[in-house]
This record gives sequence, C-alpha cells and structure tokens, in this order.
Amino acid sequence: MLSQSCTSVKGYQKMYLNDQEMLLSARSLDYFCINFQSYREGASGANGGKVGGGCGCNE
Amino acid sequence: MQRIKIFLLFSLACISVNAQEKKVKSDSTFQIKKLTESDLSVLFSYYQQDGNNSPVTGGLGTELLTDLTSKIIVNLVLDDKNTISIDGGFDLYSSASTDNIDDFVSSASSKDKRIHSNFGYSRKAKNNVTWGLKVGGSTEYDYNSLQLSGYVSKTSNDGNRTFGLSGQAFIDKWEIIYPSELRTQQWVTTDQRRSYSVSASFSTIINKRMQASISADIVTQSGLLSTPFHRVFFTNQTAARVERLPFYRLKIPVGVRFNYYVNDFLLLRSYYRFYWDDWGISGHTFSLEAPVKINRFFSVYPFYRYHRQSEANYFAPFGEHTGEFQYYTSDYDLSRLSSHQFGLGVRYSPAEGIGAFRIPGKSNRLLTLKEVSFKYGHYTRTPSLVSNIISFGTNFTF
Repeated sequence: MLSQSCTSVKGYQKMYLNDQEMLLSARSLDYFCINFQSYREGASGANGGKVGGGCGCNE
Repeated sequence: MQRIKIFLLFSLACISVNAQEKKVKSDSTFQIKKLTESDLSVLFSYYQQDGNNSPVTGGLGTELLTDLTSKIIVNLVLDDKNTISIDGGFDLYSSASTDNIDDFVSSASSKDKRIHSNFGYSRKAKNNVTWGLKVGGSTEYDYNSLQLSGYVSKTSNDGNRTFGLSGQAFIDKWEIIYPSELRTQQWVTTDQRRSYSVSASFSTIINKRMQASISADIVTQSGLLSTPFHRVFFTNQTAARVERLPFYRLKIPVGVRFNYYVNDFLLLRSYYRFYWDDWGISGHTFSLEAPVKINRFFSVYPFYRYHRQSEANYFAPFGEHTGEFQYYTSDYDLSRLSSHQFGLGVRYSPAEGIGAFRIPGKSNRLLTLKEVSFKYGHYTRTPSLVSNIISFGTNFTF
C-alpha cells in the first residue's frame, strides 16, 4: 500500500533523499546507544542493532 | 573566401575529433575505471549509569557502572562489486554490582573487558542484487560468543525501493559463576545459549522529500537465558536463590522509519517499534531526531526517545517472589518500565573533507578525514536508573 502511494522519483530528483541525514538506518554513532538500550530494556531488535545473543545479559 | 575559411575550419575540427576517436579506439588497453573509496570509522563512547535495583543483589542495590568503548570499522572496496569489511573493538567496564557477586557489601568496583571482532564480505551481483556474509566473535570474562550472519537485498531498477532479507546466528557459551554464598549446588543445567534470527526489511521513496522503511525480526533463543550470578529473594526467606528463566524465548520486533526533508534547514528522522515476546513483555518505542542544518556541512540534531514495556511473567521486586512459580527474576530490565532519553548530536562533514594525510608507503593515496561527529544522551528509566552517554566518531576515506 505504501509502495503504491509513492510517486516515481528520478535519479536527478534525489538531491534531498541522498542527503546523509536522510539515511533510513541508525547512525554509526548510535551503535553505542542501541547497545546500552538493549541491555537496559527487555525489548530489542528491528533497529539494525542487537537482537539477542553475543553478550551475557537477559537480552 | 569567408565560406572557404569556414569550410576549412569545420574540416579541421572533424579531422581532429576523428583522430581523437581513433586514438581512443586504437588503444585497446584503455578502460574506464570507476572511482571507488574505502572508508575507516573510529568510534568511542563513555557510558555511566547508577540506580538502586541491581539484579546481582536481588533487585535492591547499586547499579553503578562505567563503560569505555571503542570500535573501528574498515570497509575495503576491492572493486566496483566486491567489498570486505572488518570491525573490532573493546569495552572496558567497571561495575559495582558485578563486584557484589563475591562480596555482598558494595566495595570497589569490579573491572573487566570485552573484546569483539567481525569479518565480512559483500558483493554487488546482477540485477541490483547485493549479498553479504559475516563471521565474528566476542569474549569477556564469563561469556564467549561466535556469530555468523548473512544478507541479501534487491533494489528496483529505478532505485526507489529495496527489499532485504537477513539471518543471524549466535553460538554462545557461559563461564558459570554463581554468587559466592550459592556455590554449594548446581543451579543451572547448561552453559550454552543459542540465538537465531531472521529479518525482513522494505524501504521505499515516497516523494522527493520523504522516504520510509519497515523491518521485522523473528528471534528465537534457547539454552541458559538467565544470568547465573543474579540473586532472587523470596517472601519470608533470608537465603537467596539463583535467577531462573525459561529455556526458550521467542521475540518479534517490528520497526518503522520515516524521514522527511522539511526544508534546507530542517529534517525529521522518526522511528517507531512494536515489540512482543513470549515471556510476557510487549513494548512500544518511539524516537524523533530533528537535524538542523547550520550550513551545508554542519548539522546539529536534538533527539528524544521514549520506551515503555510490560513486565515479564517471571518478574517480581526484591523479596516479593512467593515460590509458587517455576521461573523467577528480579532483573528490572525485564520489569514494567518506561524510559526517556534526550540529548544533542553534532555532525561536521564538508564535501572536500576536513584534512588529508599521506598513507605511509602508498605515496599516491591519501587518508582523508571526511567527518567528525559527537553525541550526548541523558537517559532515565523507572524506577531508579539514570545514565549518561557521550559518543565521538570520525570517518576517513582512502
């Protein structure tokens, strides 16, 4: 549904979308924040960070 | 005469162009080479927290912890199709609560380190398909982990939509350490933990200023999912027991991102996640960043994040477990909670780079400092945890 409601954007029209701030992912600097949040909260995942495993915590 | 001059000039121009074309064609070794840049990121952070609900002391006691972390990521572009990535880092932490494994009275903090590294390979295949594999591991004083992962993604011909699938496996092993007064018996039956996840993601451009993505994970874990040095205290009992949690856990998080380029000065980056697991926790997480562009290369982004979750079926505070249930924990990470985080980030990334250094031994290659970034965040979590984190990052190309 989301895909169908979108307009076709040509490569030369992507000036704003290609801005570094528009990346559809967490920033590399967010790696540390995502890590400690996954330790201190019962929920994790769906953000490019840890989903469980790899450390000795109730994650 | 004038016509003859124009004709001669036109003829000379044609001959010149033709000669150049022939020169290019006759040089069979000439190839157009696409410029590719490898990059190196160096990241640091300092994290400090305190609270009064440590699970090491049964849900009541200091949670003081400091953690100095560093991570280096290298993406080595071999050619226009193949990339190798290597990352590694360490955590140096001191924890007052971990110190209480052996000494029930809080004392000087226990210190330790965690080291981790990964090696990955990715390839741009035909038909806008990219795939990659990664292997890695980590080690700390009581925990060792081996990680394997892979992904594949397909982008539409116009570059407006991308669909991705990925999988991860963690094969982990505990070094079992019980609280000092509980070492007379075996409390756990395995020292292994396995975590497997599959993820699907879809991103799309909505219009010239908006794009969004959705991703969902399915995570299964089995083995020792509790922490062997966590104490639990029961009603009307003075002696503690070791935390006990189910052998299996299923987790399903679904996240949505939406980014909007409002104008040349302001952007909005938003994120929402719904989380559910079969231990009884469900949660909602929302975050919003508002990068303000001071100029083309310098941006400042205030951010706010909110999270709330229900508690796991096995949680009760200090001294409130009744002993009627098979599983029990007083770890407040698994409690009903809400948390707030806010802070500020700064990013400086001029197009031509900040500075360049010649790489020793490679006289024709430059290491260019492309970006520096800084972020501070203040975090509070019910009922008592407060933490601060400072992160600093640099990015180089070569």
